[in-house]
Amino acid sequence: MSLKREIGFVLNGVRTRATVPVEMSTLAMLREVVGLTGTKYACGEGECGACTIIVDGLSTCACLMFAVDCEDRTLTTIEGLARDPLGVKLEQAFVEFGAVQCGFCTPGMVVQARQWLEAHPHPSRDEIRRAIEGNLCRCTGYVKIVDAIAKVAREDA
Amino acid sequence: MAVEEYWAPVSLPAALEHLRGGDVTILAGGTDLMPQSHAGRVTFKRGLMNIRRVPGLHTIERDGDGVRIGALCTIGELLRDPLVQEHFGILAEACDHFASDQLRNAATIGGNVCNASPAGDTLVPLLVLDAEAELASKPNGSVETRGVPLAEFFVGPGKTVRAPNELLCAIRLPLPPAGFVGRFFKFGTRPALDIAAIAIGFGGVLSGNTLTGARVAFGAVAPVPMRAPRTEAAVEGAALDAAAIARIAAIARDEVRPIDDVRASAWYRRELVFNMTKRMLDDVAQA
Amino acid sequence: MKIFEKESLIGKRIAKLDAPEKASGKTRYVHDLDLPGQLYARILRSTRVHARIKHIDVSKARALPGVHAVLTAADVPYQRPLGVGKDQLPLKGDKVRSRRDEIAAVAADSEEIAAAALALIEVEYEDLPPVTDPSEALKPGAPVIHDEKVQPSPPHDALKPGTPGDAEAHRHNVAMTFDYAQGDVAVGEAESDVVVDDWFRLHYVTHCCMGVSGVIAEFDPSGNLTLHSNTQVPFLHKREFAEILGMDPGRIRIIQPPIGGGFGSKLDIYPFEPICVFLAKATDRPVKLVFSREEEFVASPTRQPVLLRLRSGAKKDGTLTFRVCETLHDNGAYTSWGATTPFVMMQTISSLYRVPHCKYHTTAVYTNNPYAGSFRGYGNLQATFAVEQHMDQLAEALGLDPLEMRLRNAQDPGETTPQGMHFKTCGLKECLTTAAAASHWRDKHRAARAAQQAPGRYKRGVGMASMLHVGGGAKIYPSDGCGTILKIDDFAHLTLMTGASEIGQGSETVLAQLVCEELGIPLDAVTVVNNDTDITPWDVGVHASRTTFIGGNSAIGAARKAKAKILAAAARVTGLPEAELELRAGHIVRTGSGEAIMNLAKLLRSLHFSDKAELVMTTHYYEPPSQHQDKAFKGDVSAAYAWATQVVEVEVDTETGLVRLVKVTGAHDVGRVLNRLGIEGQIEGGIVMGQGYAITEELIVEDGVVRNPGFRDYKLVTAPEIPEMDIHFIETMDGEGPQGAKGVGEAPAICIAAAIANAICNATGVRIRELPFTPEKVYRALHRASVPAGTT
Repeated sequence: MSLKREIGFVLNGVRTRATVPVEMSTLAMLREVVGLTGTKYACGEGECGACTIIVDGLSTCACLMFAVDCEDRTLTTIEGLARDPLGVKLEQAFVEFGAVQCGFCTPGMVVQARQWLEAHPHPSRDEIRRAIEGNLCRCTGYVKIVDAIAKVAREDA
Repeated sequence: MAVEEYWAPVSLPAALEHLRGGDVTILAGGTDLMPQSHAGRVTFKRGLMNIRRVPGLHTIERDGDGVRIGALCTIGELLRDPLVQEHFGILAEACDHFASDQLRNAATIGGNVCNASPAGDTLVPLLVLDAEAELASKPNGSVETRGVPLAEFFVGPGKTVRAPNELLCAIRLPLPPAGFVGRFFKFGTRPALDIAAIAIGFGGVLSGNTLTGARVAFGAVAPVPMRAPRTEAAVEGAALDAAAIARIAAIARDEVRPIDDVRASAWYRRELVFNMTKRMLDDVAQA
Repeated sequence: MKIFEKESLIGKRIAKLDAPEKASGKTRYVHDLDLPGQLYARILRSTRVHARIKHIDVSKARALPGVHAVLTAADVPYQRPLGVGKDQLPLKGDKVRSRRDEIAAVAADSEEIAAAALALIEVEYEDLPPVTDPSEALKPGAPVIHDEKVQPSPPHDALKPGTPGDAEAHRHNVAMTFDYAQGDVAVGEAESDVVVDDWFRLHYVTHCCMGVSGVIAEFDPSGNLTLHSNTQVPFLHKREFAEILGMDPGRIRIIQPPIGGGFGSKLDIYPFEPICVFLAKATDRPVKLVFSREEEFVASPTRQPVLLRLRSGAKKDGTLTFRVCETLHDNGAYTSWGATTPFVMMQTISSLYRVPHCKYHTTAVYTNNPYAGSFRGYGNLQATFAVEQHMDQLAEALGLDPLEMRLRNAQDPGETTPQGMHFKTCGLKECLTTAAAASHWRDKHRAARAAQQAPGRYKRGVGMASMLHVGGGAKIYPSDGCGTILKIDDFAHLTLMTGASEIGQGSETVLAQLVCEELGIPLDAVTVVNNDTDITPWDVGVHASRTTFIGGNSAIGAARKAKAKILAAAARVTGLPEAELELRAGHIVRTGSGEAIMNLAKLLRSLHFSDKAELVMTTHYYEPPSQHQDKAFKGDVSAAYAWATQVVEVEVDTETGLVRLVKVTGAHDVGRVLNRLGIEGQIEGGIVMGQGYAITEELIVEDGVVRNPGFRDYKLVTAPEIPEMDIHFIETMDGEGPQGAKGVGEAPAICIAAAIANAICNATGVRIRELPFTPEKVYRALHRASVPAGTT
């Protein structure tokens, strides 16, 4: 029905090719074409952060990015953090500190925190809260999410 | 309408050649284009052009007596750039208030300018800083450029003087004169992820308690981000004592043209303009 | 010789069992499930607020390649009414009564094709005059919203009091009414030295679960239905789906994938689920239906908006005398759980603090607005908003200290209220004094009051509010019970099959914790199965903060039966008396010394592989010792009640009206802390949800249309805006509660708005009785004199 384009990119360390409609978002590509469901749809307009992924070293909302714009870029999703030391530390801290309730916002939170912490290794709690200002959570009230991120930051320091 | 052709040109002439044919949607960061197209507020044109690989659009550098900011520079890059921090503090401040970290990493200044929202985050500081838009086109086979002062660039909500065959390549900001101070204020009911209820920008050369070369701009109180000439005239050279500040704030309140919408009423926006203008001038006068 | 000390799990910080899977992105929510051969469904919703449907033309949609079925009401003559009021059909054929009404549905090979098919459906409407104001809807001559000739079906089981209105009531747009009385309010009024009388307006908000609504329906070749549904009440829904579909409930299986948030939104059946089933039936394929976020805002239930008038009196020594409360509930187009919030509201009006005389009335009125469902707190936020403002107002009028006034009227353990609620444990006084002390309430309150008229841009103030809510279930259904099946295998691995659902609140973890506490096994030796109606025993569902209490007691019952069986076997094997044996750390040990006698797994294997082979499998159904209310709404409806007091500190920017929530100090009577990590998370999340209700969130509904169906303009609280929180637990050790615990899920959201209202008044001298406290609303209230006439 719509124009398709074949693109090549690196996804979670693996060279990948995909054929996508040009209007498709990166979020839809990840979930429907590639089949990785860890990145979530919760608003589709960049307001909630549930679809946060890492593109060329920076966190961004996959729902706002055109899939065709992934050409020649390096992407990391929550699945790709399974063997990332900082990602694993964050996931463990989220578990230990009770930062997970329904868990729907959690992948986006972990990805955002991982990328931001790498660039800001000595944050205050206020700075951590600002770092996740683009990630909505309806269950936890954010307190334990901030606790978990702060703990990893302290350890890493 | 579905997209029938997609290009990702690697040179400016090639990009401009595609634009010459007309009927092209430009894709930069995508942070406005994607949600707007999904919501049906924007329909794709026949051609979709990704300009990310066009060289020369992604640098921030000194350019004579000013700084040239490539249209593809992201809000996050602006926020972190030493030239921006040193010379254009209110622009850096606006960038810090912009949405969220994720959006700052993807949204471009070119996109923010061309999207021309009356509440666009970077637009008020750009107006205060006398920014100029650098537009390129290829109407007769060779690349031509023209500069348009940003104060003349916006003609309506979402509408600019950019012709369909033109590409915004850069924003150029003259270095502010010595003694220049700027102030930026953005208000909304949430610090982040908010489209401003109002935004206010001030600038000028401070000498004692007067501002000369005064620039005043407002966002979200008119169909376009606006310079406020009457307020500027009232500020220009005035000794900023309490009486003068109150008078200027009242002029500002009358000069803006806000509407009622789901975010705020016109009356309240005017009250905010009055109160915050006073605050900011107080702050400047005591600097 | 190994010694095992007694180590209790109660009160410890226990990580949620499914958290590792969720944190790594491996959890498959309903959105992430794909069944082989599945089709994708979309619903065509009304573009009118009130209209007759003259004609629906689906021919072009049906002809689109990739479309398997397009259904309208005409195609499903077997559909039956759904919802609490049984006043709506899943697919509307005669008229639409709100903007979200479902007119047609498509199942196609992809979402894109389904969306394209929707665009090809042509609907011809005949507009009817809309009515979007409940008081307008009550006026004679108002358009009648439910003018069906057919009598409504018999009322929902839970609604014996407060039944849905009959055809006569519908003619006047009345959906339901509620009346309650205790004592004689005329006597109360006569005894009062001061009376305050005010209107309060509570607005629309919505759940905003991060996971949007979705369902997958699949029939097997024998006609059995499997639903992958995020329902919070799977067993009730089995029965209700059977009614709507004209099926045998025994042939319906509900599987609950992990849910992306509930908060009460999934307690009623909404049309999209039966519609998905119709499509599955029509296509013989699994059908998946997922909302967009915009659709979620437009078509999901809201919190019940309420226009409330409260009249409260007190004697000059501060003793409360009476409360009269009348409310107008905007029922929206169809009746859902929002209409029944009076059940909860009247409890607060009649029993939050000691009130001898009380009269309560609600009229729930049909309009063409969105309808409300159940939402964490279930009417209690609205009632408490009024009651606790009046407590401050009465204290002010009498020149009494607001804390002293509350303490004077706070109940003590052992009291039974005139409504019949027996407060076996009651921590209200401790909550009040603890929250007040920890927050330095008295000093701050006095200082702020003195500074109200002082110049200055920012004003700080503190406000206090308490809440009362059920803490041991709520017996509104024929049964308020929960069943558990428990088995322990040859390796001492325990499987707990519980009817109690998990909706993100951590129920599976606390149930495992309670069982491990009984049986002395580690948490990682437990598997909890809680999401398949073919496997788990009945539970009424997740609501009324009941799951820990009732699911917990059910699990403990099954665990104790298993323990008895194990210890009896251990006694036989060891020759020691049962009383001298204990279970600790996966071993049978001597009580007292802790000396390990035998490994538990070894004992279980010896039990299994013996001449009289036995497995340890036990069951328990726990029905709480509460009562159904009588026709006058009186009765001890819960097995326990819970309280909390919250003191909030706010900072008001008088130049913008912005209210910043600086700090929340809370004292919660929870009976006993079970999982400290889990309970803190519930309270922190509830506080922020209450903060949103009070300050930032508003679903703007104008002329029946939702104007802000997205997160850009519907403002959820973000991380930088949360307050500092200081939370205290009052452990009143409820005799009936599992290990003494009471329910807490809703409590932290309930009194925040009232406390903030009181704090704003303390800071500025201005009392605002309407929510939310947006900057513009607060600014207008502060500067009342300067609002020009004719300004909106």
